[in-house]
Amino acid sequence: MRLEKCYVCSSTVYPGHGTMFVRNDAKTFRFCRSKCRKLFSMKKNPRHLRWTKAFRAAAGKELVVDATFEFERRRNVVAKYDREVMASSLRALTKVSEVKVLRQADFHRRRMRAKEVTDRKDGLRDLTQSIQLVEPVLVRERADAKARVAAAVRVEEPQARMAVDE
Amino acid sequence: MIQTQSYLNVADNSGARKIMCIRVLGTSNPSYASIGDVIIGVVKDASPNMPVKRSDVVRAVVVRTRKALRRIDGMSIRFDDNAAVIINQDNNPRGTRVFGPIARELRDKNFSKIVSLAPEVI
Repeated sequence: MRLEKCYVCSSTVYPGHGTMFVRNDAKTFRFCRSKCRKLFSMKKNPRHLRWTKAFRAAAGKELVVDATFEFERRRNVVAKYDREVMASSLRALTKVSEVKVLRQADFHRRRMRAKEVTDRKDGLRDLTQSIQLVEPVLVRERADAKARVAAAVRVEEPQARMAVDE
Repeated sequence: MIQTQSYLNVADNSGARKIMCIRVLGTSNPSYASIGDVIIGVVKDASPNMPVKRSDVVRAVVVRTRKALRRIDGMSIRFDDNAAVIINQDNNPRGTRVFGPIARELRDKNFSKIVSLAPEVI
């Protein structure tokens, strides 16, 4: 049993799922679902589709080079079953997945560092240029109410004077 | 899904380039041929100075189809074109070479000679 990768989105194609396309030069392409197959037949480049692994890897959005990926590399040499090897790899599995999660989290943190700087800069700009956006709603409402009252008084005043004249 | 009037590429060096299906063998009702089925075809296009000539009526076995082929393990395989290999009455190929990939289903249907000539068996 072999878990293949989808040619378009790089997700895992489990046995019994998806389709295979064989080009006339005998190159085979696996697809996880009809969506991916259709995109392939429309000659879309997976690197240009933002949601695919190929795009994310090319754009530096995912951890690409790491020793943990060696475990799911495609090997053309058949490994003979060995009880000892099997047991040790099962033991290693949990550790490897832990390391993988940690490294991916670390990568994400490093990637988001630039965002922190821009967020801070944007916040400062808002504070200096458009303080009304960050003012509490209550303060704004009170100011509005005051302005409304002032306008009403201004309208009423001439009418009152006319009454006194009569 | 090969039916009468379907055109197929010929994936061997018998001399025919294109054949048109005029009968799907092994069915009483009109139906479709898929990979491994034998058809009767008429040669529509042929290379010059070869044994198989234009407008010859030939037996051929379908080796590739655009329509997906469903395997028993759930995998489905589709090829780039519809193609056939021209055979004689003993199910042996009339040419000496087979071009392009072919499906493994042909071996189960005893076209072992074609399978052994093929450059790639998928």
